[in-house]
Amino acid sequence: MSYVVPIGPYHPALEEPVHAKLYTEGELIKDAEVFVGYNHRGIEKLSTERNAIQTIVLVERVCGICSHSHAMNYALAVEGLNKTEVPKRGQYIRVITCELERLHSHFLWLGIACHLIGHDSMFMRIWDVREVIMDMLEALSGNRVNYAMCIPGGARRDISDEMRRDFLQKLTAALPALDRIVEIATTDKTIAMRTKGVGVMTTEEALRMGAVGPHARASGVKIDVRKDAPYSSYEDFDFDIPVVDSCDVYARVVVRALECYESAKILIQALENLPEGPINLGNKIPKLAEGEFVHRLEAPRGQLTYKVAGNGSQLNQRVSIHVPTFRNAPTIPVMLRGNTVADGGLIVASIDPCFSCLDD
Amino acid sequence: MQEFKTFEITPEEIVPLAEKKRKAGVMLVMIHGYVQTDGQPRISWDYECEKGVESYYVVGQKTLPSIVEIYDTAAEWPEREINELMGIEFEGLDVSKRLFLPEDMLETQGKGQILVTPLSELVEKRHELEEKK
Repeated sequence: MSYVVPIGPYHPALEEPVHAKLYTEGELIKDAEVFVGYNHRGIEKLSTERNAIQTIVLVERVCGICSHSHAMNYALAVEGLNKTEVPKRGQYIRVITCELERLHSHFLWLGIACHLIGHDSMFMRIWDVREVIMDMLEALSGNRVNYAMCIPGGARRDISDEMRRDFLQKLTAALPALDRIVEIATTDKTIAMRTKGVGVMTTEEALRMGAVGPHARASGVKIDVRKDAPYSSYEDFDFDIPVVDSCDVYARVVVRALECYESAKILIQALENLPEGPINLGNKIPKLAEGEFVHRLEAPRGQLTYKVAGNGSQLNQRVSIHVPTFRNAPTIPVMLRGNTVADGGLIVASIDPCFSCLDD
Repeated sequence: MQEFKTFEITPEEIVPLAEKKRKAGVMLVMIHGYVQTDGQPRISWDYECEKGVESYYVVGQKTLPSIVEIYDTAAEWPEREINELMGIEFEGLDVSKRLFLPEDMLETQGKGQILVTPLSELVEKRHELEEKK
């Protein structure tokens, strides 16, 4: 028996508005379509009537999870357009905020994935560790989301020596808990049974469809902007890019769990070697040079792209934002085909989607 | 700092360039579009390169070839977005369904006018629409 199963855009099991049509044959999904645009806020259009400081505030609200990535990528694009160099200490503070954000984003996703799988004790264990990271972000910026840590030309707030030592202590203390999370994620039978062989996207499909971030790395594609085109002193840090080639939901769990280690490694190096000096170039509102600049940044969910065009005034001529979900959402139908309706929610969640980001 | 290089190309060069890049395994970073200060639409195909992005752009064209056959959905969604926001036609691209904007906005405000129309006019048009309802 064939059915078309509509899901969303507003549904109790969906955190964000998206509409999907599943074309089923019995319990199996034969094909699927994804519809977005339910949370389009016109942020790109609004930014054309704002200066760089105002735009930082605006783009930070594109997403609640990766808000710093948006603010930082916009700042980097403006700095690229104006050819300004951020002081080294400012670059390190940006990296510290970025990696804390990646940790809390990955922990959030891992927790939700475990909840969807039905492993709620793991969900609580992961979110317990996430709380340590959220406390650090709160201590650093005063906020748990929208940290306002970035301005064009550097970082907005400094890290005191006391805070630096406190962060190092907290991170070191959290590492055994991270070890246990990775051990459970990679060896637990419940997680393996629900995720192995589910929602497969082959390496060829990932390359052809332009998947990015942990989603692509879980399909054997070794891409990471932090390594491929380093920015903000990422070349100073020793870290690996975890790649798994089983191409299924299990691989996406493992890649994100292993990436938490790498983020912790970067954070410890950045905190131990935090350079002395100024954190920014001052608080002046910059004029945007005539021309354009495209900057890529590795956000928690993958490559985030900002294009900023200037016309010599303080206002943006154009700000074009393309988030990782814009690249990864079109791969959802490929992953859904041949799977059961019951696994549909987990498969969609496995790309770590942010449809509010996508719609911006 | 990442590198960013721009190259002006003709519409005829878009497809051969995409084929060359795809064959070489180069990622299509994004297709971007905006309206220049002189009112001309500028569309660019941005490819990754070592340490940054290479941007190939055309100016002033209302119809362009599609590269969906070469880059699949990595090109399809950006092309649909540019079609919706700027009214640029991509030959052979299926635009029967909207991507971002509400259906009523397309009907009442003209498809492809969002980036061209000043924000204040868009707000006025929205108010007119709501009054009619």
